[in-house]
Amino acid sequence: MFSVFYTEIMKLKNTKLYWLVLLGVLPACLMGSKALFPKISPAGIPLAFDMQDMFYSQGMVVTILGPALFALMIGYIITREYQERTINQLFSYPASRIIFFIAKLLVVFSLIVLTVWLPFVFSIVSTILVKHHLDVSIVWLGMKMNIMICILSFGTIPVAAALSMVGKTIMPNAILGSIVSIFAGISEAGHSMHSILFPWLAPYWPVRNLAQGIAQPGPNPYAAPALIILIFTFVVSLTFCIQYYNRADVHSGS
Amino acid sequence: MDYVLQTYHLTKRYKDKVVVNDLNMTIKTGDIYGFLGQNGAGKTTTLRMLMGLIRPSAGEVELFGAELNGNRNKALERIGAIIEYPGFYLNLNAVDNLEIHRRLMGMGNKECIDEVLTTVGLLDAKHQKVRNYSLGMKQRLGIARALLHHPELLILDEPTNGLDPGGIKEIRQLFLDLTKQRGITFIISSHLLSEVEQVANRIGIIHQGRLLEEIDYETLQKKTRHYLEIKVDDGQRAAYVLEQKLNITDYLVTEPGILRLYEQLDQPEKINLTLTKNDIGVKKIVLSGDSLEDYFLKLTGGE
Repeated sequence: MFSVFYTEIMKLKNTKLYWLVLLGVLPACLMGSKALFPKISPAGIPLAFDMQDMFYSQGMVVTILGPALFALMIGYIITREYQERTINQLFSYPASRIIFFIAKLLVVFSLIVLTVWLPFVFSIVSTILVKHHLDVSIVWLGMKMNIMICILSFGTIPVAAALSMVGKTIMPNAILGSIVSIFAGISEAGHSMHSILFPWLAPYWPVRNLAQGIAQPGPNPYAAPALIILIFTFVVSLTFCIQYYNRADVHSGS
Repeated sequence: MDYVLQTYHLTKRYKDKVVVNDLNMTIKTGDIYGFLGQNGAGKTTTLRMLMGLIRPSAGEVELFGAELNGNRNKALERIGAIIEYPGFYLNLNAVDNLEIHRRLMGMGNKECIDEVLTTVGLLDAKHQKVRNYSLGMKQRLGIARALLHHPELLILDEPTNGLDPGGIKEIRQLFLDLTKQRGITFIISSHLLSEVEQVANRIGIIHQGRLLEEIDYETLQKKTRHYLEIKVDDGQRAAYVLEQKLNITDYLVTEPGILRLYEQLDQPEKINLTLTKNDIGVKKIVLSGDSLEDYFLKLTGGE
């Protein structure tokens, strides 16, 4: 399994996929770093540095851009095998097709972790460098949020994988990702609680928990049903992918 | 008989269209098996079924004495293949592409990569991205990949596509050498008769999904030999004269008074003169016989 995973990582050498990671990381770092600048309240009193706000801004950006970026990542990883006609060779190796699919999912999970955690690391490093102190309890909150974002974002990856497998092109993923990202942006701007019922917006649940001064603070009552919906989406789409990948006849590029 | 591969009533149907129909194929150890058929005859579909890339609608594939279904992974460890097109990760160079293959085949020794690249003449281009390779270079790299894990059976679908005449000659020689030195069995599919006849010792002819004939190259050559057909008034005496006066022994009497000579085809005047001098009336001398191509066209209905 490790060999298969390693070869999947090798395949990404010299690709533009890492630009997608940067496309998520840079805006998140920028939005987060605005908390480092001096702030003054409407009454003219200087406000203290708020690291929680830093993580919140960062989480917002990642959960808005994430659906589009992660859908494109899995789309590229799956469809390139058909487009570059390597699928014949891939399925001619003495290993189960499911192993290859799981390895591809693991690669995307790694890229999600990279996209989510680089801004987090940036926040910590920049806070140490600029403010010379770190509130460990807030760092722990940020860490929990980022772990949750990674896990919850992964929940919809099999849906995007299924689209690219069936379509053999990245276009359906690009369309799905863009629409979902726009929808996420609108929903998150309104801090709506029930938006997390939409599986692609489930990662907003831990982000919203860090929000301060919003209309309805406190635990999100939709968390449990949102999780059930996400798990259901994950299981159904993953089962479909496994069945499809395992059973489909291979005609390269078709 | 030691068979590497056998198929039993192998069939592939897409809705109402039968692409491969009741195919019974046998490939012996050490064969260079030419799988010949026109475009769309069902060659690639058959090869895909042999590799387990598509599921047969009916029938079975037996590889190395075991049914493919259930023993696929074990069988694939012993096979190298290029199916339809040598697909590579274009962003990587030859070494990286082969490294992926090496790891997935579980091979320990990295040096094998340079060895196969030398074998196919791509060592100098090993650090070039495959994106910049010509089709011919990709074909060579495909052959290198197929050879990397020392397979016992090589399945190559139109392996000389995109190669220049010099390259075709080199690759052909490589196939012959590999069979001799390593005892590798080959299945080489092609729509070009000329390509197959120069390397194959057995030929399977497929047409519209059906395997029309599976034949040894020697038998095929006999079937497609040229001959001088001579019609004379006394066949027995003519045969005697030809043997005694011209030392012709390779001939057949097909009907009374009709002989087929398989030697001295370029000397009809001399044969005519000899027979006439010996008072044998020669009614007709004609050079005939099918070329391999004629035979193939006859078999496939002349399309």
